[in-house]
Amino acid sequence: MELTSFVFLMFCLLTILIYFIIPKKFQWFILLISSIVFLFWNNFNISTVIQALIVLIPTYILGIQIEKYSNTKKGKLFLIIGIVIILGQLAYLKYTNLFLTTAKHLLNLINIEYKFTPVYRDSLIGISYYSLIMISYLVDIYRGVCKSQKNIFKCALFMSYFPILSSGPFIRYNDINEDLYGKHEFDYTRMCNGLVRVLWGIFKVLVISERLSIFVNAVYGNLGSFNGIFIVAAAIFFTLQLYTNFSGSIDIIMGISEVIGIKLPENFSLPFFSKTITEFWRNWHITLGAWLRDYIFYPLQKSNIIQRLNKKCKEKFGKKIGKKIPLYLTMLIMWILIGVWHGGAYTYIIGSGLLQFLFIFLEDILEPLAKKINSKLHIDMNSIGYKIYQIIRTFLLFSFAMIFFRATSVSNAINIIRSIFNFDIPLFTNISLIELDIFDFIILIASLIVLFIIQLIARKGSVREKLSRKNIVFRWIILYALIFAIIIFGCYGPNYNPVAFIYKQF
Amino acid sequence: MEKEEIYERLNNVFRDIFDDESIVVTAETTSNDIEDWDSLEHINLIVAVEQEFGIKFNMNEVTTMKNVGEMVDIIMSRMNK
Repeated sequence: MELTSFVFLMFCLLTILIYFIIPKKFQWFILLISSIVFLFWNNFNISTVIQALIVLIPTYILGIQIEKYSNTKKGKLFLIIGIVIILGQLAYLKYTNLFLTTAKHLLNLINIEYKFTPVYRDSLIGISYYSLIMISYLVDIYRGVCKSQKNIFKCALFMSYFPILSSGPFIRYNDINEDLYGKHEFDYTRMCNGLVRVLWGIFKVLVISERLSIFVNAVYGNLGSFNGIFIVAAAIFFTLQLYTNFSGSIDIIMGISEVIGIKLPENFSLPFFSKTITEFWRNWHITLGAWLRDYIFYPLQKSNIIQRLNKKCKEKFGKKIGKKIPLYLTMLIMWILIGVWHGGAYTYIIGSGLLQFLFIFLEDILEPLAKKINSKLHIDMNSIGYKIYQIIRTFLLFSFAMIFFRATSVSNAINIIRSIFNFDIPLFTNISLIELDIFDFIILIASLIVLFIIQLIARKGSVREKLSRKNIVFRWIILYALIFAIIIFGCYGPNYNPVAFIYKQF
Repeated sequence: MEKEEIYERLNNVFRDIFDDESIVVTAETTSNDIEDWDSLEHINLIVAVEQEFGIKFNMNEVTTMKNVGEMVDIIMSRMNK
């Protein structure tokens, strides 16, 4: 079920309608039924049911046991068993090819010929999300952050709450359990607010992202046919496509959840105004970053091994450099894991992992040098001009890394980068391969300007809050404008082939 | 141990970690008040505080403490045990 499809919107409408009609004590049960329907919508068979139960049943039982034996060795053992089961299944379903490819490369290094046929295993929608969410649930019980859920059906709802299955955000049991199982009154203002957000999300996906994807697919699909400038444009457009698709999906998800009355954590905070890649990742896929920080980075940094390494490095290289070495090591591990999570392929590990780490590493070690050079050249690092330069630089670096993220293979990514230097092809050759007319380009530019203006306003506080303070006529004009923009300018219907939500495959 | 003494010792830890001799922490000090106090430095700070006072924070406390005041409360409760 696509988030922008008519079926999904009807599905949500029906769920919300029943949710507010039935007695309040059954409300959570309606969400559970909807979630189960959504989870198995495209993929209902015995193996996918078993897949879901392999996560649900052990998590449910172990959660109760971990609570009983918290802070004991037995509790820790139960926690480890839970994590191994959940991660084991995730790796089996999603990362088998990655392991096999790595094994192949390693064996080739020592001259052993090894061939394999890639395996494709059917997995449930949202498995990358609910697996990590259930791990955080077990760890939180062990750490004493939350209590275990004694009702297996309620536990199932936490695992499968349907809005978040397709693109996140990551939820934490402690933050959401009261809302999730609580009783909710229908609220008109909340519904209007949620609806505006859903529409804005659909606008981002259908009007901007889908249109950009037509350009990107045409250029990346015919690498040798375009001048380098088009390749650069495609790389930039892909970043915008990814952002409008992903953040638009999140807007739809959060809007729907808001109407129901369940508050979800924000996943984006205007990432393209970031001045460094470090800052960028604090504003992009925020809940994934927070998950990794709390469940991998902190425990690793606090572990005895890293602490011992820390001490040794400080003795050897002095305090300042010494403490950085173990830090870079844990960061490297974390970024590789981010890459792996994004998909079981090297393109993701490089694009959303290693390159990001490299940029952050360089930003950190080159900062003193940059300060020195800028002061020698009398460049004011606090000036608006310098900040704009930093924002553009961050955007371009991220776009460069996304070439790998989008590419079909590492060699394809290298081909794309090489094609940037295709200057001997005349500028507008083969432009007919891009199935966008001048009208489309005007819509694209206009909608990107709208997006930019909205983001500028959003820097100074919530746009929807500002909107809700305006008079009712103005609010309805905006609402109708959004609806008509989506209906008239949206890329959907038989002539278009909407790309699946980019993030849903993870 | 008195609160004042804890703050005194915490000041030294903070100055050492963030390389800034002018830092003076209060109960209300948060990561927003100290430029370099991000999620990366946070864990170094936690480990340094643990070593200074010979205590251990649990992971729940590491991820949820909101300001220095909460940190001091935890330190006091551990040391008075």
